Amino acid sequence: MNDSTDLVIYDALNNRINYGSFTGSIISKCQDKIIFSDNLTISNSEEISISQGLVVGFEDSDKNASAFSKKSDFSWNSFKETPLEYAVLVSENIMEQYNKDQFPFPFTISLCHTAGLYLNNNKGEIDHLDFFKNEILQNPVSLIENGIIMADRVVINEKGDPVFYDCIIVGRDEDDEIKASYELFVNVDDKNVLFIIILGIEELKE
Amino acid sequence: MLLFENKEQKLINILKFVGSPFKKFVSTGEIKEDVGITPSRQEFLENLANFIKTNENFILPIIGEVGQGKTHLYWALKNVIYNYNTVYISLETVNKKFYYRTYSEFIENMAVKFGDKMDSEDRVAPLRNMTKQLCNEWGANQRKFGFFQIADLDKTKEIAFKKWADKHEDKDALMDVITAITAHQLEPYKKFEAERWLIGELMDVRDLSRLNLKHDLRKRTHAFAMLKVFIENSNKKSLLFLDDFERVIPIQKFVYQSTEEVEEIEEVFDPSWFGNKQVPKRNTAERTLDKILELHKIKGLRMIITLKSIDYLEELKKKIRENNEKLLLMLKEPLVMPDFKEEDMFQFYKENLEIFFANVNYHEYSKFFSNSLFPLNETVLKYIFREANGNPREIIKCLIKIFNDIVISNEKLEEILEKYQ
Repeated sequence: MNDSTDLVIYDALNNRINYGSFTGSIISKCQDKIIFSDNLTISNSEEISISQGLVVGFEDSDKNASAFSKKSDFSWNSFKETPLEYAVLVSENIMEQYNKDQFPFPFTISLCHTAGLYLNNNKGEIDHLDFFKNEILQNPVSLIENGIIMADRVVINEKGDPVFYDCIIVGRDEDDEIKASYELFVNVDDKNVLFIIILGIEELKE
Repeated sequence: MLLFENKEQKLINILKFVGSPFKKFVSTGEIKEDVGITPSRQEFLENLANFIKTNENFILPIIGEVGQGKTHLYWALKNVIYNYNTVYISLETVNKKFYYRTYSEFIENMAVKFGDKMDSEDRVAPLRNMTKQLCNEWGANQRKFGFFQIADLDKTKEIAFKKWADKHEDKDALMDVITAITAHQLEPYKKFEAERWLIGELMDVRDLSRLNLKHDLRKRTHAFAMLKVFIENSNKKSLLFLDDFERVIPIQKFVYQSTEEVEEIEEVFDPSWFGNKQVPKRNTAERTLDKILELHKIKGLRMIITLKSIDYLEELKKKIRENNEKLLLMLKEPLVMPDFKEEDMFQFYKENLEIFFANVNYHEYSKFFSNSLFPLNETVLKYIFREANGNPREIIKCLIKIFNDIVISNEKLEEILEKYQ
């Protein structure tokens, strides 16, 4: 496998499946949740498994939706069973760039525990963007209309829109092909954002 | 337009206007030498460079009398092995805080210079890369869940300490070095202070306590530990050029030969009154020598030492034998600086003038005087060589004298030169 290109391990929409065990930086979209992991296996018997992944999203059961991130193992016996929409192995080039540009800015707000910054879907509405206007928040993860943004930091600008800095973007292009890219910063209109979750440092350390 | 310009008179006028091209007769480790090494010493230099490239952890003595060009050799060597951290220390000036001064010189020299410009960022870039690389090796930058670099500071320090504990004798110093490196890379709020500590700035108690450190690099053990860490983990190989090494190996001489001589010397203070058998200067020299010999513990460090005569080398061997006989294996066979030849002097003279006139934007010199020795001539230069017994420093002193005459005197050039034939 070439480290310099991204690899779509699994894409349910385009019926693209790569069998085998993959290690590296893998982002998977699982319904309205995101799973970060350093491994993913698709066996010949169609079993998909992820060990010790970090799942990020909003709790389903609660009426007052609350954000969570937790470490978990995942296993699905067949492709029919799996709620996975896609899984992408992000290239080492992108990861190096992402790590290189992470800047320990002294006035950044880091949260100890994972919290929702913004939510706008059928589970409810949360909007703390105005509260954090002009602040810098560490470790945001966002689900947008047709993709995922994970960034080193997010700044809420004067208009109340989030600006993600040092970010990896995974999503579908106009041909519904999965693509991954690195951007130094991205402006997003909050209308296109489904949720933004700020990952808690303590929960990442666990 | 001048059709028949007197080029020679013009050159003399320029000299009178801008001054003598020969001003400095002593090479130093601080001021870069532009003049290259003479042809007869080229082979010597190449052999020396090859020796450095093919060996490590050695002490190589270079023997040459005063003014033979040993310090100048440093600059020539630095240009040849440009991808090395080559650091010059004169033991004439450095006798206290030896490790601290040596480390500071390494820090000063580590930067990669692009063109003529070098800003403060370039200077510390190699140090930053080193701390980053070390923290990576200690697992600080592992990606959790494939993406997140969440450093566990205590765990990182523990790994680092375990890895280096058997290489460092002073554990307190090692812990401080590790703490500074991890703070530099993993604690954004302490990065600036940690960098100040790492580049050897003097720090007060408040700064140190903020970084959770006990001492700064003025402390001998800390400076040694940091020097070791820097040399062993630098991307470049390191060479330490210790000039005037005889300063730290005083040959025992009976100063007071007879009672008459003793009476002639008025001793204001005799330390032996307090029970000291040796004078403090000698103690300092011995301590510095011990410190230098300790450097053998730094893996990969190459050392060149310059000595005035072979006697000093024998004395050094004796000292090393007393200290640790195994270290004699590090001490290589000495290289003797080849003598300056007559043709070397001609080349040196021409090269100096070319650089001088190029620097004052008189580029016509190389055009009109390429085959001439003007304003001097062959007879004068041969006279200088004889007078100076081929010693480069003495040759330069003679050249300074003659050119000062040319610049200052109202006598005609021929009359001046006549005095030196």
